[in-house]
Amino acid sequence: MLLKKELIEKTIATGLSTGADFAEVFIEDTSSENIQLVGGRVEKANGSKIFGVGVRLALGFQSVYGYTNSKNPDDIVKLASDLSKSFSSNKVFQAVPLIKLEVGTHHKAKISPRDVARSKKVELMKAAYDAAKNYDPVIVQVAIMLGDSVQNVLIANSEGRFVSDERTHVRIYVQAVAGKDGVMQTGGEGPGSAMGYEYFFEEFDITEAAKDAARTAKTMLYADECPSGVIPVIINNKFGGVIFHEACGHSLEATSVAKNASVFCGKLGQQVASPIVNAIDDGTIENAWGSANFDDEGYPQQRRVLIENGILKSYMVDKLNSRRMSHEPTGSSRRESYRFSPTSRMSNTYIDNGTSTFDEIIAATEYGLYAAKMGGGSVNPGNGDFNFSVSEGYMVRNGKIAEPVRGASLVGNGAKILWNIDMIAGNLDRARGMCGSASGSIPADVGQPTLRVSSITVGGKKGGK
Amino acid sequence: MMNFELLFQTAKEKGCSDVSVFLTNRSELSIEVFDGALDKYEIADTASMVVRGVYNGKMGTFVTEVLDDKMIPSIVDAIIESAKIIDSLDDAIIYAGDKEYVKLEGLVNEDLKNQDVALKIAAVKELDQAMHAADPKVTIVETMYSETTRRVLLQNTKGLKLENSVNSAMFGGSAIVKDDTDQRTAFDLVVSNDPKDFNAAKLAKSIVSDAVAALGAKPVPTGTYEIVFHADALATLLSAFQGIFSAETVQKNMSLLKGKLNTVVGSPIVSIVDDPFQKKSSRSRSFDDEGVATKYKALIDKGELKTYLYNLVTAKKDGVASTGNGFGNAIAPINLKFLPGSSKLDELVKSCHDGLFIKDVQGAHAGANPISGDFSLQASGFVVKDGVIGAPVALVTVAGNFIQMMKDVVLVADDLKTGYYGITTPSIKVASMAVAGI
Repeated sequence: MLLKKELIEKTIATGLSTGADFAEVFIEDTSSENIQLVGGRVEKANGSKIFGVGVRLALGFQSVYGYTNSKNPDDIVKLASDLSKSFSSNKVFQAVPLIKLEVGTHHKAKISPRDVARSKKVELMKAAYDAAKNYDPVIVQVAIMLGDSVQNVLIANSEGRFVSDERTHVRIYVQAVAGKDGVMQTGGEGPGSAMGYEYFFEEFDITEAAKDAARTAKTMLYADECPSGVIPVIINNKFGGVIFHEACGHSLEATSVAKNASVFCGKLGQQVASPIVNAIDDGTIENAWGSANFDDEGYPQQRRVLIENGILKSYMVDKLNSRRMSHEPTGSSRRESYRFSPTSRMSNTYIDNGTSTFDEIIAATEYGLYAAKMGGGSVNPGNGDFNFSVSEGYMVRNGKIAEPVRGASLVGNGAKILWNIDMIAGNLDRARGMCGSASGSIPADVGQPTLRVSSITVGGKKGGK
Repeated sequence: MMNFELLFQTAKEKGCSDVSVFLTNRSELSIEVFDGALDKYEIADTASMVVRGVYNGKMGTFVTEVLDDKMIPSIVDAIIESAKIIDSLDDAIIYAGDKEYVKLEGLVNEDLKNQDVALKIAAVKELDQAMHAADPKVTIVETMYSETTRRVLLQNTKGLKLENSVNSAMFGGSAIVKDDTDQRTAFDLVVSNDPKDFNAAKLAKSIVSDAVAALGAKPVPTGTYEIVFHADALATLLSAFQGIFSAETVQKNMSLLKGKLNTVVGSPIVSIVDDPFQKKSSRSRSFDDEGVATKYKALIDKGELKTYLYNLVTAKKDGVASTGNGFGNAIAPINLKFLPGSSKLDELVKSCHDGLFIKDVQGAHAGANPISGDFSLQASGFVVKDGVIGAPVALVTVAGNFIQMMKDVVLVADDLKTGYYGITTPSIKVASMAVAGI
């Protein structure tokens, strides 16, 4: 065990001693490894060991948080004592005794990263490098980043919750650069999973992803600049789901909803999207990138239907924000590490399948942009304005995919774009992302089938038609 | 605390030729106020250590937050194991040190260090009240203060031992304002290590007036416009593209500045420097993570590219001296600064016939490609028609290429500002850029 139960109980009792109505201890031990290969050679290899303890106390809406990476019991109890000075009430709450809840894992790692020789990891990376580099002579550079981590957490609170969880993640990122005549364009793919190295040894062929990154870079090298304007945009599946993640997902997190700072406040049960839209955030999908057995407050991860037939069904809510809202917590509390107090975050978020097909959507579009691959984006939850970049785009003319275009970005408003989704295909697939927000950078899947937005602002260097 | 001598000795016994430790101790305080009440209060004390060791001429690295002596054997093993897989031709260098290091004064501000926490909380509450009181359209206010005290210690088997301490704080807030038809937000903060710089009244007024001015913002017609970038927007852009100055990206064929030394990469009024000694900056340092003395240097001087940023390895490859920019695993500027011009912001605006005054750009982590230099970013600001600021603008994109933009800078203002990214910028005017709207 990461810390003795008696020490955790003492820390909780100290935290409650001045009137806090809730105390929580989060203990983390993470070992990880990152290897970087550029130009066919391993340039950097770092291992790391993270250990820390986070203590959170709350009274009503007010919460305090502190962390340390000392293992010394006195330092940990002193942290709780220092934090408790924020409260002064005569009513002292008693902690419920801790009884460890033992459950099996839903996200088993068969081949732990710690059991894989570094040379094996390098073999994977070199195979990916060769696949991308040999794709075409215009590929001038390829960089491969491999990262794996095993995070062990122990979470306990004054309500008697006491759980541990082990989260294993592996990921390889391939970046290919195509260059000619002083112009450089890139393509990237970043497959990964919440499991061990069986993902790369048995389930997923990294060389296919590497070739695809090279193909994107080459295609974009010969692409024209994207024109600007307000046009229909067909957004492909997998990472295309970043549109929902940015445009709506963040605004459905209690972090903004609880403070009445989201455009979706007070809209539960109301139509917020076109009736063909169903959106789900599911932290229970087996071995998915954003899954875990427990959230970072120690409650089971859940499947949350956010939008059903266009009607808003649920927000994503953590325990403390639920105090501000008349909404039960949804097991959505997450954090990057003990260095962050947890808050409501997405896990694996996607728009569900519709009834059209990919071909039907292209054929039904006289003029528009087909965003085959999306980059990242961001949103202002206060008004829902979002942006995201297209990393591989094509013009669509007369119902057919036409010439490739580069440098496009899409801007719009989250609340409005949901109404403008007019066709959804049946090819749902998800892709990996790192989501940055109040409680740090966490693994999160995005996903969707190919879908069409009837009109959205496309920005590119070429300017207007 | 770990016994470094024991670590060094163990590593040498197992075959490492040289070893270096870089220890960071950090104390943090962060305060947030929401609706007049203390919403978040965070304190932290952490220590983290990067150990680098040379084994068979290759550099192995391990980062640990567990600092007891029991960790030593596993640290040494991990360093050797990681060194074994490295097949890069780069040298592995542990540095013996420079003759002289600039002595930095005032990086730890005693007033900040000694100020009572209650006063800090009071200041955040004062900002909250001032923002609520600034305009009836204000609906939601969040205000924050965060303070970091950081001590770094570098010690290696070549006998080098260097230490540096800084403290710094951020004081800021965001407001949501609402009228009958629209809702807008604005955010700003002040970065300093001097509590006297945290003026709640002034900050409240500027945040709220920014938010209110943006009410009713709409896209403009798609086209090309003269663009005035506010200092904040330029800082976001510069932050996204700062990697192009790294000698590592240049040597790996991933920088647009490859082969451009001593050539024109910007207009004659563009000068960008890296100033490691900037006052009140928590990033200021007299040595980098490799122990090399830092120095003030012009990256772009009057439009001409003067140097890349080097660490020890990349400098050796190019046959030059390290510029003292080796940080962690990467090469990075310390305090990047776009030097101010002589114009007033007002003059930049007045010079536009058909322009946009861009206050803010969003999404640079995805919409700006540091390798190609291309960007297309969500932007907001104001219409400028015949020199007069007009209606607020939102949900447009401004697109271009960073190098082309540097060449198209026609005016530089004198309104220097150090922002969230630790980058100091003035406002600039760019002759013309593509804007997508309606």
